[in-house]
Amino acid sequence: MSMLEIKNLRKTFASKKQKVVAVDDVSFTVQAGEMVGLLGPNGAGKTTIIKSVLGIVEPDSGTISVKGFDPSRQPKQLLSHTAAVLEGSRNIYWRLSVWENICFFAGIHGISVAVGKSYFEHLLTTFNLKEKRDSEVRLLSQGMKQKVAICCALAKQTSLVFLDEPTLGLDVETSYELRDALKDLVQNEQRTVVVSSHDMDVIQDVCQRAIIVSNGRVIADEKISDLLALFESRTFKLVVDGAHHPELLSELNQMVLPVSSSTNDRQLILKVNLPTARDLYALIDLLREHGAELETINQEAPDLEKVFVNLVRKERERCNGTL
Amino acid sequence: MQRYFVAMRAMIARNLINMRRYIFNTISGLVTMYIVFMLLFLGIRGIGGAALAGGTTLEGLIVSYLLWVLSISAYSDLAWDLNQEAQVGTLEQLYISPIGFNWLNAFNLISGLGLSFVFSGVLLVVMMLTTGKYLSVDLISVLPLMIASLLGVYGIGFAMGGLALVFKRIQAFFQIFQFVFVAFLALPLDRFPWAQFLPLTMGGHLLRQVMIHGTRLWELPATSLAVLALTGICYLALGLITFEWSARIAKRKGLLGHY
Repeated sequence: MSMLEIKNLRKTFASKKQKVVAVDDVSFTVQAGEMVGLLGPNGAGKTTIIKSVLGIVEPDSGTISVKGFDPSRQPKQLLSHTAAVLEGSRNIYWRLSVWENICFFAGIHGISVAVGKSYFEHLLTTFNLKEKRDSEVRLLSQGMKQKVAICCALAKQTSLVFLDEPTLGLDVETSYELRDALKDLVQNEQRTVVVSSHDMDVIQDVCQRAIIVSNGRVIADEKISDLLALFESRTFKLVVDGAHHPELLSELNQMVLPVSSSTNDRQLILKVNLPTARDLYALIDLLREHGAELETINQEAPDLEKVFVNLVRKERERCNGTL
Repeated sequence: MQRYFVAMRAMIARNLINMRRYIFNTISGLVTMYIVFMLLFLGIRGIGGAALAGGTTLEGLIVSYLLWVLSISAYSDLAWDLNQEAQVGTLEQLYISPIGFNWLNAFNLISGLGLSFVFSGVLLVVMMLTTGKYLSVDLISVLPLMIASLLGVYGIGFAMGGLALVFKRIQAFFQIFQFVFVAFLALPLDRFPWAQFLPLTMGGHLLRQVMIHGTRLWELPATSLAVLALTGICYLALGLITFEWSARIAKRKGLLGHY
């Protein structure tokens, strides 16, 4: 059985002036032990999907199940398997200490301090919060507050965890700490984690699969590696010693291959699309002929951000009827 | 069952910690209540004792004031706390507890009520000592009457809390309602018999009989007790229905987490 199954989910928010389709016929499943990224631009419907699963937003139609439990008919059973850090909310009490927050949120999930103590301590160690155990949350940095909120969600020891924008406002170091902790969760605790984020690096680093949402619709649901392969190109970046190679450039421009070039004080930088290995060899020969010394050559790998931007742009164009 | 007990303990612990952290606020609240009471007391004594709150002027004032303090405390445990939780962004976390939001709310009210009784008890003792007006504090009679009187207040609190989930910024309305409680308590039942169906009015009337005249609970008219219980239950039920209805709308409109 899937850990999470969403079928044909639809949610519309209506006001007097307009009707906004926040989620439009969304379907996907998440298997136990998976770490899935939920990506989408602002207002794409990510948070509405998560809140619908948690039962704090009532969908118009569609079915949701967590371990077979439905949020409208069996909310308590569903919630006993689910925890979440929600975007745009504090999620925790700033006047309580780190430890008091963890104990409180585990407590309202039915986990006593006596039962959870060693795991709570483990979380503090994993998230480098041990020294701040007894500090009031209001006195901590934004990054630490976010880590406490995540600890509070994890302290519930549920099999499914939603992290909505967990790295928002975190510095680079804390973001890396968080990534390691998330990987550890999936590897060592077999938790299922759905991470919604704008931070493509985080998703690419920690998730096996990405679900891309735009305008309330799922526009891609693939393994990260497959998504990257979709946009793989054979564009190479070559750095040549010496900034002035007019003859080389004029010959390059006569080649059929698309080339872009730029220079700095002492180097010529070329970006060339080389569809076959033969094209690459031909280019190397040309450089040799002109006595241009090749310093570095790199194949440009697509990253998730580029994939995301491409897919979302295509979807927008499709919606606007330009495709 | 064990899980519910753990959750109740967590709610009580949170409230006690908050009280400790906001100790200055707690104490200054008590002192303010006492100062306001003394101003009222001295004012009324100076006028010469116009019949306030059931005709037994100064003793009546103490009883009514005590019930008013308990009422605004119970009311704020609901309406204000819900509003506050929504404002700071912890309400949704309470909603995603498998224990159920209604249970958590009930635990919150129980712990709030316990703390209110303690603070009101302290206030009562200080009021009696400084005014020299000693009242009968027969707990077997007083506590059930107080709890029954507060049922209606809880009903209003639930209704207000629910409305706050949907309409958000209605604090001004909240504040005004605290003073409506004064009117409920001050209405004399002999002149306005219909007022017995209002929240707090019958409760205040019966509490004054018990605390001023030493009447025991079982010596009170059964019809009055029935009116007190039934109006309390009705207001509580109405409040709960309003709250559930509002929470449903908030979920439909996605408003639970927004302020």
